[in-house]
Amino acid sequence: MIEFKQVTKRYDDQVAIADLNLTIPTGDFFVLVGPSGSGKTTTLKMINRLIEPTSGDILVDGKNLRDTDLREMRLNMGYVLQNIALFPNLNIQENIAIQPESLGWPRKQRIDRARELLAQVDLDPDQYATRMPSELSGGEQQRVGIVRALATKPNVVLMDEPFSALDPISRKQLQDLVLRLHHELQMTFVFVTHDMPEALRLGQEIAIMRNGHLQQIGTGTDIVQHPANDFVRGFFQNQSAPRAVTIQNLLNAGYGTPTQAPATLMATDSLGTLAQALRQQAAVVVTTAQGPRQVTTPDLLDYLAVKEGD
Amino acid sequence: MQQINHIIQTQGSEIVQAIGQHIAISLVSLLIAALIAIPLAILLMNHRRAANVALQITSILQTIPSLALLGILIPLVGIGTVPSIIALVIYAVMPIFQNTYSGLTTIDPNLEEAAEAFGLSRQKKLVRVELPLALPMIISGIRIALVMIIGTATLAALIGAGGLGTYILLGIETNNNALLIIGAVLSAALALLFGAAIDWLGKLSFRRVGIVLGVVVVLIGGVAGYRHLVQPQATITVAGKLGSEPEILINMYKDLIEQDHPNIKVTTKPNFGATTFLFKALQSGSIDIYPEFTGTVLESLVKHESSASRNPQVTYQRAQKALKAQYQMAYLKPMKYQNGYAIAITQAFATKYHLKKISDLQRVAGKVHAGFDPDFYQQSAGYPGLSKAYGFKFGSVKTMEPSIRYQAIHHGKINLVDGYTTDPEVQEYHLVVLKDDQKFFPPYQGAPLMTEKLLTEHPELRTTLNKLAGRVSTTDMRKMNYLVTVKHHKAATVAREYLQKQGLLKTGN
Repeated sequence: MIEFKQVTKRYDDQVAIADLNLTIPTGDFFVLVGPSGSGKTTTLKMINRLIEPTSGDILVDGKNLRDTDLREMRLNMGYVLQNIALFPNLNIQENIAIQPESLGWPRKQRIDRARELLAQVDLDPDQYATRMPSELSGGEQQRVGIVRALATKPNVVLMDEPFSALDPISRKQLQDLVLRLHHELQMTFVFVTHDMPEALRLGQEIAIMRNGHLQQIGTGTDIVQHPANDFVRGFFQNQSAPRAVTIQNLLNAGYGTPTQAPATLMATDSLGTLAQALRQQAAVVVTTAQGPRQVTTPDLLDYLAVKEGD
Repeated sequence: MQQINHIIQTQGSEIVQAIGQHIAISLVSLLIAALIAIPLAILLMNHRRAANVALQITSILQTIPSLALLGILIPLVGIGTVPSIIALVIYAVMPIFQNTYSGLTTIDPNLEEAAEAFGLSRQKKLVRVELPLALPMIISGIRIALVMIIGTATLAALIGAGGLGTYILLGIETNNNALLIIGAVLSAALALLFGAAIDWLGKLSFRRVGIVLGVVVVLIGGVAGYRHLVQPQATITVAGKLGSEPEILINMYKDLIEQDHPNIKVTTKPNFGATTFLFKALQSGSIDIYPEFTGTVLESLVKHESSASRNPQVTYQRAQKALKAQYQMAYLKPMKYQNGYAIAITQAFATKYHLKKISDLQRVAGKVHAGFDPDFYQQSAGYPGLSKAYGFKFGSVKTMEPSIRYQAIHHGKINLVDGYTTDPEVQEYHLVVLKDDQKFFPPYQGAPLMTEKLLTEHPELRTTLNKLAGRVSTTDMRKMNYLVTVKHHKAATVAREYLQKQGLLKTGN
């Protein structure tokens, strides 16, 4: 069990984490989610003390982190980095066995463990064990990155946006993989992401953060059905179902000219409806709160071109 | 080219020895520099401000001109191999330190974070992650340092540490381009060879690099230790300036001393350096005896007030007194020959006009086409003074580089040159040296110089070395120089043959 008790982290005058209280049960798949600058990665890195809190206490299995031996604690905690960060000078089995090596395991045992883990993530040990990281694809490298974090059979594995750099297909495969590993190994996974669908897919429990404040904590169903506030609702909707673009968006971007002609469309109609209307005639009049506006085909094309460029 | 071949054939073993010395000095310096720079960079990798200070200091050290650095080191550590190595180490520390430091501090922060988060100890992180990742940078720093060391090590010859610089300096000193080329080409070749070796080293794994370095250390240590054990403990060290003449003389000293006193071991250090280096070496006790010219003592080594005398005896006595008073040094009696400025003309010119003395030139001054060394042409002790003293002006005077001067007279472009009385070219090109009948040129006589302390400990040296007093004529010396410089005989052999012929050394010795 990992407990955050009134944890605050300040950089000069900037508050990165404000009075955070959080409990992560043992064996949980816990996801921290939020936009950039929300403090989710800071929270994660305080668990293995890459970042020290300014005030408050963090307890792991009832023991205050401040009182534990830093090296011993870290050697028994897995860590998966966003940029994979395999050591380019070490081959795959040496990368996987870096923590066991540091713990002084005999060589034979280290190699056996590395091969066992490779097999577990569907990488043929005979083929991969002695290759160098640069010879692997991004997806394969991150599989190695994940099993490297499991090598010492730690109780806790921390993952910092591990799939953000991967293509959608590899990401889906690796999400399945970590779900399977979590199910098999019964370790506590703490997983950071900015991607709400990923959070919903993986997390048994999800904590949503914003500007260093915890917004809501609960299961995926809780959050979808009972968002605690507008931010949570917005964050969830924004990401899970991209809102349809309406004519109002186009008008907001400065397109369209005032007119006295009778309107045929509403500002809340979709761009699709507008496009259809523009196939019949060169200009369409739209009812808006500020009065009717005339929109032409060039307006639509320009708006789409600029939007594409964003 | 022919000359180069000849030198390589006759002095092959000496050249190989010089290469060996050069490599040994370079590698030892490199190793020490690496042992200082790499740990320092590791120590300072997490202290940016201190590292910047260290970088500044090493950069400043590097801007000190090498000759100045050697000059600073001599009073502190004497001469020979030690100051050379210290100087080279000082130069080599900067590139190695800088590259190691930037290699260690520009490692991908993600990898640093990973190593940190995995709980690797400082040592484990260094050995397993940081050093291997910085290795290419470190190797390139070592490569830069080594190429620089091999180039700069040629200066080691100036202070008696030997190496290929000996040939370069000798080549410059004696206008012998063949020697110059041998020294320069070999040191350039060494730099290329070792650069390539280091590139090869850079392709090996971290562990293998360690093994190779270990082997090199053991080899150097082994050879040095072996030498140290094998070399007999010498009690007297005789050194000489650059060139054949001092080398012949010190071999005479050695033969005479070892014949008269079998209990004394003599080591010779030929081509030990320039005048001031030798003098300082004598003061510091790094060497015990070296032959010095009376004129040079008065001109460069001691303070004296009276104007230069033309009388050799007066010059010697003044030099001897000044050395005793100012430096507590003993200056034994000089040999016969004089190695001062001389005027030489072609055999044909001499025969045609019966020219034997410089004053004879008054009759034919208009027919003289002289080629002078630029110094001689300008100095008051040279042509201007000469023409005033003898009252003549030559038909034409050209200034040219010393070696070209002899070539020019050999090919008949000119018919008179300045030179030194014992220059072997005089014999090589069959020139005639005119007698300085007005005694215009100041006397330069060679005599053994040593500390009074040595003479107190070994008073018998006086009798032994004075056997040479008044011996060795200018012609004898010129002949011996010719044999060594032009014919490439060994100086030791030439010296021994002369002593035996003079009955100073028992034959069959």
